[in-house]
Amino acid sequence: MRIVIAEDDPLLREGLALLLRAESLDVVATTENPDSFLEAVDTHAPDVAIVDVRMPPTHTDEGIKAAVEARHRRPDLAVLVLSAYVEQAFATDLLAGGAVRLGYLLKERVGRVEQFLDALHRVAGGGTAIDPEVVAQLLTRTRPDTALERLTARERDVLALMAEGLGNTAIAERLFVTEGAVHKHIRSIFAKLDLAPTDRADRRVTAVLRYLENTQRRP
Amino acid sequence: MPANQPETAAPARTGRRGVRTRVRDLVDALEHLVGGFGTALLAFAALLWLTVVALGCLAGLGRLLAPSAPRVVRSIADRERARLSRWGPEIIGPAAPPPTHLRAALGDPDGRREVRWLFVHGTLGLLLSITGVALLVYTVQDITFVLWWRWLPTDEPNTPTVVSWTVQDDSGALVVALIGVALGVLFVVFGPGMVRLQAWPGRRLLAPSGEVDLSLRVAQLSATRAAALDAHATELRRIERSLHDGTQNRLVAVTVLLGASRRALARDPSSADEMLERAQQAAEQALAELRTVVRGILPPVLADRGLAGALAGLAADSGVECEVDVDVPGRCAASVEATTYFVVAEALTNIAKHSRAHHATVTVRRRGQDLSLRIQDDGIGGADEHEGSGITGIRRRVEAHDGRLALTSPPGGPTTLQVELPCGL
Repeated sequence: MRIVIAEDDPLLREGLALLLRAESLDVVATTENPDSFLEAVDTHAPDVAIVDVRMPPTHTDEGIKAAVEARHRRPDLAVLVLSAYVEQAFATDLLAGGAVRLGYLLKERVGRVEQFLDALHRVAGGGTAIDPEVVAQLLTRTRPDTALERLTARERDVLALMAEGLGNTAIAERLFVTEGAVHKHIRSIFAKLDLAPTDRADRRVTAVLRYLENTQRRP
Repeated sequence: MPANQPETAAPARTGRRGVRTRVRDLVDALEHLVGGFGTALLAFAALLWLTVVALGCLAGLGRLLAPSAPRVVRSIADRERARLSRWGPEIIGPAAPPPTHLRAALGDPDGRREVRWLFVHGTLGLLLSITGVALLVYTVQDITFVLWWRWLPTDEPNTPTVVSWTVQDDSGALVVALIGVALGVLFVVFGPGMVRLQAWPGRRLLAPSGEVDLSLRVAQLSATRAAALDAHATELRRIERSLHDGTQNRLVAVTVLLGASRRALARDPSSADEMLERAQQAAEQALAELRTVVRGILPPVLADRGLAGALAGLAADSGVECEVDVDVPGRCAASVEATTYFVVAEALTNIAKHSRAHHATVTVRRRGQDLSLRIQDDGIGGADEHEGSGITGIRRRVEAHDGRLALTSPPGGPTTLQVELPCGL
């Protein structure tokens, strides 16, 4: 797996590279601003890009813009966006073009190396990785009168993990249940929320996230 | 506006001081009479124009001429407002532009007050100005008459102004000079009163009526309050940024390195130590940055020792010999003092790092509404804001307070950093 890192903080950039190289992953370039990142994407043709949201010059959403632009140049590039804090608006911008090969995680998730590597592999393999925090924000901000109310507690857990981008096997592992049970929960959720059932994880993520977004309380 | 209140002359302590204030009052009176003469002439001309417009309306040209009238009146009234505001309480004009429609103009209370002022100032005010200026001209003419009456053409009767007889000899001219002195005394006694009398209609009629005055005050206060809140928001954003991009990044690096160390421990314990070492360094950096952020919000030393004491402390810790001169009456807003402290701290760090200076001076003064801060060193100069020095941070901080920053640093030195920070009323 060929990886390009875009992170303006030198310590974090080197730390990330160190961690990934120790896992025998191929970090082909580390860059510190959006321009050199896009250049590296052009020259090194990486499989995955790990991008910080806040980068020079204004330290606002340059990373999101650079990620969107990189995807525009190379549609099969997997992008994992790291952020100091999660903002649903960023997630919405990022997911506007679909959730395939896309990740959006809080920076500190990197420290839980196994889960981070899992998310990285999932994104590189065509899946999605959405930070639990984003999903939690979406879940707490839903209108009280939606069909979500009719879900059982366990079904809500499954829904949250689906929204994060986990597949059935991973969900079963996290919740310590069998895959069959997960499958049953998912069918029940889709029926209650009136969504077309699908087993493909990426479509499922998009459907669930879109559903959650549509049920947000209007400010 | 409290800041623009006319300064009442301090009671004269010595005779000389009293004479000096007297002379200054007289020169002021003359200046105001001449200035008033200008607006009174304009007011008189406007009165003539209003008459023309009124006649024009009777002749059926109202639609053509009428719209100009309120604009003419307003522009002259504004001129008088500006003139009076220069030497007395500020007079704020109506915010709305003058109505262009005749009917609306007649119904506009501000407009009606302006027209009333125009009548008084264009007649009585003009008369007062002419009298005052003439009085002074005659004073000078009569007092000096004794010097030049001989050279007057003899075929004309040698009669100076205000004198009804013909002067034949030096003693007659001396009498004229005495009359001149009397006229001068008249001006000294009545001049300032005439000035006040002339300004009175303007101060009364051109100032907004009570209700309007209050709403203008509210509008002005809202604007300054919004600006203050804006500065506050900018400040919060700066703190948020330094926490997210500095401290938090360090801590994330700690977790990343710790995570990597744990993996390494399982695989090859000898390589884990290096990572743990890095993690510890990152944690220490996080602590250092946190200290900087906290100090940047509000240095505790400011509350304990005030601005002068805090800056003296900075100077003592500085790498170069530093002289601090703070002369600021009272205390400024906490955020202004904090910014001043930050600017000095950053500037002294810069000087110690880059300038090779032996000596630096820090001067802080209050200039009207601004706190003026000047930091100078005798180093090599050539400081460039764009070469990653701390100047960018200083500028950001200063601009958050709506302040100004100027850096002059010619090659060879000296380097001067001049900062002005508004401290509010």
